[in-house]
Amino acid sequence: MNRRTLLRGMLGGTAVAVGLPLLEQMLDANGTALANGGALPVRFGLFFWGNGVVPDHWIPQGTGTGWVASEGLAPVEHLRSVLTIVTGTSMRLPNIHPHSSGAAGILSGAPVLADNPGSFSAPTIDQIIAAEVGDATLFRSLQTAATDINGLSWNGPNSRNPAESDPYALYERLFGPTFVEPGSGGVVDPRLGLRRSVLDGVMGDIAALQGRLGSADRTRLDQHLTGVRELETRLARLQEDPPDLEACVAPEAPLASFPDIDGRPQLQARNRAIAKLLAMAFACDQTRVFGHYFTEPINDVLFTDATAGHHDLTHNEPGDQPEVQAITLQVMEAYAAFVEEFQAIPEGGATLLDSCAILGCTEHSLGRTHSVDDLPLLIAGSACNAIVNGVHHRAAGQDNASKVMLTLVRAAGVLAPTFGVDEAETSDGLSEIEV
Amino acid sequence: MLVLAGCPGPEEPAVRGEAPTVDAAAPVLRRLTDSQYRNAVASLFGPGIVLPANLEPDVPVDELRALGAAVTTISPYGVEQYETAAYQIAEQALSDPGWVAAHVPCTPTAIRDDACARTALEPLGLAVLRRPLEVEELDGLVALAGTAAEALGSFEEGLEYPLARLLQSPAFLYRVEVGENGRYSGYELASRLSFFLWDDVPDAELYAAAAAGELATDAGLAVQVDRMLADPRARAGVRNLFTDLFRLYRLDQIAKDPAVFNAYGPELKASAREETLRVIEYQVFDRDAPYRDLFTSRLTFLDRGLAALYGVRAPAREGFGGVELPVSLGRAGLLGHASILMMEAHPVSTSVTRRGVFVRTALLCHEIPPPPADVDTSIPEPSPDAPTMRERVAVHLEEPTCAGCHRLTDPIGLGLENFDGIGAWRDLENGAAIDPSGELEGRAFDTPSGLAQVIATHPDLAQCLVRRAVASAVGRAPESDDAMLAWHAEGFAESDQRVLWLLRDIVTSPAFARVGEVE
Repeated sequence: MNRRTLLRGMLGGTAVAVGLPLLEQMLDANGTALANGGALPVRFGLFFWGNGVVPDHWIPQGTGTGWVASEGLAPVEHLRSVLTIVTGTSMRLPNIHPHSSGAAGILSGAPVLADNPGSFSAPTIDQIIAAEVGDATLFRSLQTAATDINGLSWNGPNSRNPAESDPYALYERLFGPTFVEPGSGGVVDPRLGLRRSVLDGVMGDIAALQGRLGSADRTRLDQHLTGVRELETRLARLQEDPPDLEACVAPEAPLASFPDIDGRPQLQARNRAIAKLLAMAFACDQTRVFGHYFTEPINDVLFTDATAGHHDLTHNEPGDQPEVQAITLQVMEAYAAFVEEFQAIPEGGATLLDSCAILGCTEHSLGRTHSVDDLPLLIAGSACNAIVNGVHHRAAGQDNASKVMLTLVRAAGVLAPTFGVDEAETSDGLSEIEV
Repeated sequence: MLVLAGCPGPEEPAVRGEAPTVDAAAPVLRRLTDSQYRNAVASLFGPGIVLPANLEPDVPVDELRALGAAVTTISPYGVEQYETAAYQIAEQALSDPGWVAAHVPCTPTAIRDDACARTALEPLGLAVLRRPLEVEELDGLVALAGTAAEALGSFEEGLEYPLARLLQSPAFLYRVEVGENGRYSGYELASRLSFFLWDDVPDAELYAAAAAGELATDAGLAVQVDRMLADPRARAGVRNLFTDLFRLYRLDQIAKDPAVFNAYGPELKASAREETLRVIEYQVFDRDAPYRDLFTSRLTFLDRGLAALYGVRAPAREGFGGVELPVSLGRAGLLGHASILMMEAHPVSTSVTRRGVFVRTALLCHEIPPPPADVDTSIPEPSPDAPTMRERVAVHLEEPTCAGCHRLTDPIGLGLENFDGIGAWRDLENGAAIDPSGELEGRAFDTPSGLAQVIATHPDLAQCLVRRAVASAVGRAPESDDAMLAWHAEGFAESDQRVLWLLRDIVTSPAFARVGEVE
C-alpha cells in the first residue's frame, strides 16, 4: 500500500520528504518512529503575540539546562523540560516600519512591501513549511486567532491566509458535518462527486481567464487556483477511508460565542478552545501546520485588569511598566495552554507535542522602543528529537534570528538551503539548539 | 422616495475645457469586496438570503478597501468559504417559491429536463457573470444540471450545481474588465458604473443599455448615469464610498474601556457610524450640498444613545431622528462626530496624533511618514505641571526627532481635545481647562468648530476627495501628475463641490471608458 511509504522528491526546487497520512499501525511499539524505520511526521505551530515584552522582566537567568525562570517566564516554567528558550538574536533588516518590519522580518526574513507596508513580501515560516508538508493532509495549514484579526500568515505579496477567530467556526470546519470518524470508511455521498466536478469546472474557468490577464493578475489567480485545487483534493480525501488514528476523537463543540466581559475580550477562554481544536486536528492528521495569533502587532487589546490598551501601555506606561509585565504573564499563560493541550494527547509511546515544534514569538523585544534586538523566542517540543529542549540559549553578538527559523524549517523536514533575504539571510541554523 | 432637485444635467454650464487626453491605464482585476458580494447576492437571489458571517476579508491598501481589492488574492480559506456560501445561496434560492417562479419559468417534464434548465440558466448566467454566457459555458451548465438531477433524483436539486458553479466562477468573484480595442465593452462598463455608483451589480435596464450599445455614446451613458444617481441604490454606493474614504470600517476593530467611558457599549459605535453615514447621505442627496459643508454643518441624525452622549434631547423615540445641534454645544461637522472621534483614539483616552493623522491623510491627502524605530515614544504622565494633553505632548513637538511629523499632526488633534475618547464633550482634563487653540498652516483657530472651519476651507480638501474618489472608481491610485485629476478638480470646484456632480464627472469622463493593454 503506497500510503505507507514515504516519498522523497523535488517540490518547488527544494528537496523534501513528502509525508503521507499517518496510520497508527505505521508506528513502531514505542511510537517514536515508523515501523518501517521512516521518521515520524513533524508538525509545526506558530504562537504569535503582539507588542513585545519588557526584556528585563522576561529574559531568564543563566543558560543551558540550569536556567532560572524570570518573573515573566513563571507561567511556562512547569513546562521547562519541553521548552527551548532563545534570547539574544536580532531581526537584521532595516526596522523602518515599527511593528510591521519586525513581524515580517522575523516570520519571513524579508521586509514588508515598499509600496504597501500592510503586506509582507515573502512567505512566512508556516507557509514555507506547509508548502512542503501540507499536501499530505486535508488542510495545508490552519490559521487561527484569539482576537478578531487576520493574522500574519503570508504566501507572498498581498496574499494572506486569513485567520479564523471564532472557535465554533473552527470546530465546524474541522469536526462539523464533513468530519469523518476514524475507521468509519469514507463518505458515500453523490454530492461530493458533484462538488468536485464543479470545482474542476472552476479550475478550467480560472485557467482560461488567466490567458487574458497581465502577469501580476495571473499570479493572483495562481493563488486562487491553488485554493480551489486544495479544496478539490480535500473532497476527494473525504471519499477515502480516513487514517485510523487512536488519539483522534471528535472533540466537544466549543461555546458558540465568547462575549466580552466588562469590555474585555475572553482571551484565555477563546485561546484554550482553539488550542484544543488545533491539537485534535494534529492528532487526526488533518493538518501538520498551524499559525495562531493570540494578538497582533500594534494591538490595543484591553487585557484583564489593564487600565489601558496594550499598545498604549507599551509606549506610555512609565518606569518598569508593571501593567505591560502583567499582560506578558497573560500571554505566557496562553502559550502554556497551547503546549499543555498538545502534551495532553498521547501518540504512540509519547505525546503529540514530541513531534511538534511550537514557536512562540512577537515582533519586538522592548515594545516601548520598537526594538528588534534581543528578541524573545520560545520553542515547545523537540520536533521528533531535532531540537534540544530544556535549555535557554543566549546567542552572542545579536545573532541572526533567521537562524532559529531555518532550524525550525529544517526540523519540520524541509531541506531548505537558506532562510531570509539580504541582511536577514542565513544558510546556517542555530546549531546550539539542534540535536 | 427622494426627488433629486439639484441633480445636474448635461446642460450644466461648463467653464473648464475639454478633458485632457491621457494614456489609458492597463486593466485592473478587482475582487468583489465583502459588501459587493453581499449586495450582489441580495440583488440576484433575494434580500433574505442568509450568508456566512465571515467571508474573505477586505484588505485596505493605502487605507482604501477599493484599492486592496485590486491587488489581494483569494486565499484557500476564502475559496472554501465561497464554496460553502455558493451552496447555501443556491439551496435557499431554490427553496424560495417566489424566486423559483421568477427565475425558473418552465415546468420540468422529467427529472432531467435540459430544455427547461437551459431556459432558466441562460438569463441567470448573464446576471451572475455580468455578461452573456458563451455557448460552451451554457452547454456545460445545462449538462451539469442534468447530471446532478439524475444523481440526486430531483430537477430542482440538480439546479443547485450550475448555480454554485456560477457563484464560484472567477467571472463572478472578480470584475473581469479587459476591454477590446482600447475601450471597455458595454457589459464591462455597466459593471464599472454599477459597482462604483451602487456598490452592486447592474440591473436589467443597465444590461439592456449595454446590449444595445447605448453606453458607448455620451447621450446614452448620461441617461443611465442620471438614472443610477437618482436610484436609491446610489445611496448605498455613496455610503460605501465614504465608509472607505473616512475609514469607518475601522470602527469594527475598536475597543473602549467601559470602566472609563460609562456611556460606551458596543452598540454605540454602530450608532456612531450610522450617524456619519446618514449625515453624508443627507448632505449629498437631500441637500446636494457642497462637500465642505460636511465639515461645518450642525445638522445631524442621532438615536437616543448618541443624543445622550452629545447632551441633547433625543430627536426620536426610536431609531434615528434629524436634529440641528445648538451652537452652544461647540460641536460641528464630521470632526464632531463620535465615529471619527472614537475611532481615532485609544481605548481609555484620546490620541491627538491619531486624530491629526486622520485629518492630514484621510481628508487632505497629506503624507505622514511612520515614526522612526528605536526611539522611546512615551509621553509624560499627567502631573500638576502638565495636567492636559497639550503640556504632555510638548516633548513631541520640541524633540527634533519627533517634531518633524508631530508638528503636522498634534496641533490638529489638540484642537479636538474637548472631545474625549468616545466623543463626549469636556471642558476640563485633570481639573485644568483644555486649550483647543492652534493653527493649521498659518490659519488660527480657537475651538473645535473653528478648526472645522479651517479644514472646510482648506484648499487640499476638495482635491483630496477627487483623488480618493477616482482611486475608488478605477481601482488604482492615480499618479499625482495625472491630468485627469486636475480636470476633475477644476470641474468639482466649478460645481461648488457637489459630490454627485463629481461622481457623475468621473464615470462620464472619457478616461473611465478607455482601457490600455494588459501588462
